[in-house]
Amino acid sequence: MLPWIYGFTWQTGNVIFLSIFYCVVAVIFGSFGIAVIRAYRDLTSGRLNEIRWHVDFDDLPEFAKTCRHVFSGEIEYQVCRNGFDCRSCKTHSGIIGVHMGANASYTGNESPSGLTIQSDCMYHRGHTWVHRESDRTLTIGLDPLAERLLWSRGKAELPEVGSRLHVNGAGWYFRNGGSRVRVLSPVDGEVVAVGGRDEGFYLKVNPGDDSDLRHLLKGTEVYPWMTREIERLEILLGADGDGINLADGGVLLDDVAASYPELNWENILAQMLLES
Amino acid sequence: MPFGKFVSLMIPWTILLLIGMYAIFLCLTKGLNQTNMDNRFAFGVWIFLDLSVIALGAGAFFTGFLVYIMKRDELRAVINSAVVLGFICYSGAILILMVDVGQPLRAWFTFWHPNIHSMLTEVTFCITCYLAVLSVEYAPLVLKNKKLKEIPAFLAMEYELHRIMPVLAGVGTFLSFFHQGSLGGLFGVLQAHPFAFREGLAIWPTTFFLFIISAAAAGPSFILLTTWIVSRISRKRLVSESVYTLLARISGSIPLVYVLLKSIDTFTWLNRTVPQMGLSGMSFFLWAPFNIWILFVEIIVFGLIPSLLLIFGGGRLRAGWLVASAALVCCGILLNRFVMTIQTLSLPTMAFDRFMLYTPSWQEISAFLFVVAYGVIIYSLSFRYLRLFPQETELDRN
Repeated sequence: MLPWIYGFTWQTGNVIFLSIFYCVVAVIFGSFGIAVIRAYRDLTSGRLNEIRWHVDFDDLPEFAKTCRHVFSGEIEYQVCRNGFDCRSCKTHSGIIGVHMGANASYTGNESPSGLTIQSDCMYHRGHTWVHRESDRTLTIGLDPLAERLLWSRGKAELPEVGSRLHVNGAGWYFRNGGSRVRVLSPVDGEVVAVGGRDEGFYLKVNPGDDSDLRHLLKGTEVYPWMTREIERLEILLGADGDGINLADGGVLLDDVAASYPELNWENILAQMLLES
Repeated sequence: MPFGKFVSLMIPWTILLLIGMYAIFLCLTKGLNQTNMDNRFAFGVWIFLDLSVIALGAGAFFTGFLVYIMKRDELRAVINSAVVLGFICYSGAILILMVDVGQPLRAWFTFWHPNIHSMLTEVTFCITCYLAVLSVEYAPLVLKNKKLKEIPAFLAMEYELHRIMPVLAGVGTFLSFFHQGSLGGLFGVLQAHPFAFREGLAIWPTTFFLFIISAAAAGPSFILLTTWIVSRISRKRLVSESVYTLLARISGSIPLVYVLLKSIDTFTWLNRTVPQMGLSGMSFFLWAPFNIWILFVEIIVFGLIPSLLLIFGGGRLRAGWLVASAALVCCGILLNRFVMTIQTLSLPTMAFDRFMLYTPSWQEISAFLFVVAYGVIIYSLSFRYLRLFPQETELDRN
């Protein structure tokens, strides 16, 4: 094993074999050690939000990761590999360059399954809407589907005024007993005011100079996305229960969870709000 | 599946596990006189088990190699399951090896005072290192559990371990390549057992290469088989049809190469190796119940037929046929390992030797079943609480 251990001989084969063995051991433990050091750095450098989103996004089923340009019919099929961050996506930049006016003509308010989509709002894939105010602040609320899913999910735990939000980091939480549901932040910025369901919004954020909102859905993309999300909800309801189906052409109930109390809502909400 | 039903399904396996633990305790405290092995049958059912589970567990290294090195992303659908199967197989094999060697308090001697002239030393080093690799690969699966992920340190660790997976996959492939081969390399020095002795290149007999190829053949078949079984038991679609088809093609093409090489090897052994020792190759097949049928079954029934079915029926045959073919490939590997251990030792080698049949003691069988029960329990718990099949949620929509 080692030169000073009984049984060791200075034979070529012995030395080669043990050298290879030590190299392999060094690679295994070295790699593990590097992982531990990196994890420590992640913990101390505040990258946890980014990592959590990376891990969650990676675990999402491909159906939930469909590229936004599939909704608008610009691409037949593509799965997002960019964590829904279109700001750094080459595909998005390329398509926007060609179809710049695709969404500009959209003005109507549509209501898939009775869920009203506001044409002056932008939507995040984590089921929040964003409205740009005249004073350049951004108002954030839950989209109508999430409102109906979270109707009876306890109290909202909102961030403190002055705290910073990051796109796809934790925005705020809903706590119900021991379970907690996370809502993703749709934008970067500093929280300047907090509201609640009664106020009609949850957060007001000052994006500062960082007001790039290209990653948010708008115009003609929103209706097909919302329709697909309703389909995804139906699948999750069916998978978790005994094949529950939402009626085609019907209106979604105000409090969906209360209608199916036997289902594992912690899991369903996590899936719908992109928390794998 | 409700928790109560899950527990009730685990009870028989737990009983088997406890009986096995008692048998292992007896073997470790009272010695190998608890077994029916002796100087003639120094390799018993435990070595057969070791060689078999290490071959079946090869799916972990081979799938890891295809996913992380060859970038076959379709197989990400089964990589987690492959890692768990590999971990179970290798940890089970090491446990039984420790019981087989006996003297557990001196187990570390094999590392500290290695016999550098033995290929089994390389096997010991490699499978121990590979178990370490599999443990590191298994850890992120556990840390991905929803409750554990809430702890920041676990989340960061899971993320960072995932980043080093390609390195570990490369190391795993390197280690597996050598220890699978070295298990076969043993037969290059078994000159006293002409039935198993093989010639080859330098220190590597033909069995060195045949063991590597047969393990690479068995691994994907075993993954296909287990995925299908779990899918039937859980009544869920776990992977898409295209994954089954790809696994079937891989599971078919490698055994076909193996069958070809094995046939050439057998032909060479019959016509060159054995005659050079002054013996007739066919004389080894005169001893019932191990007649010539065993060679026919191993090469044709468990080799050629399932290979052709898997390759040419991958996209056309019903899943049942593919699974049956994969099961046959796995049986072929088990039969090969049985032939190379138990049958080899049954055959007389000296003029005064007799043909002997070996019957394992209840302690040996219980320890054998311990590994099976351990595997079932670990896999069931992993399937219930971890995310073994990433496509599962998506496939539910259909």
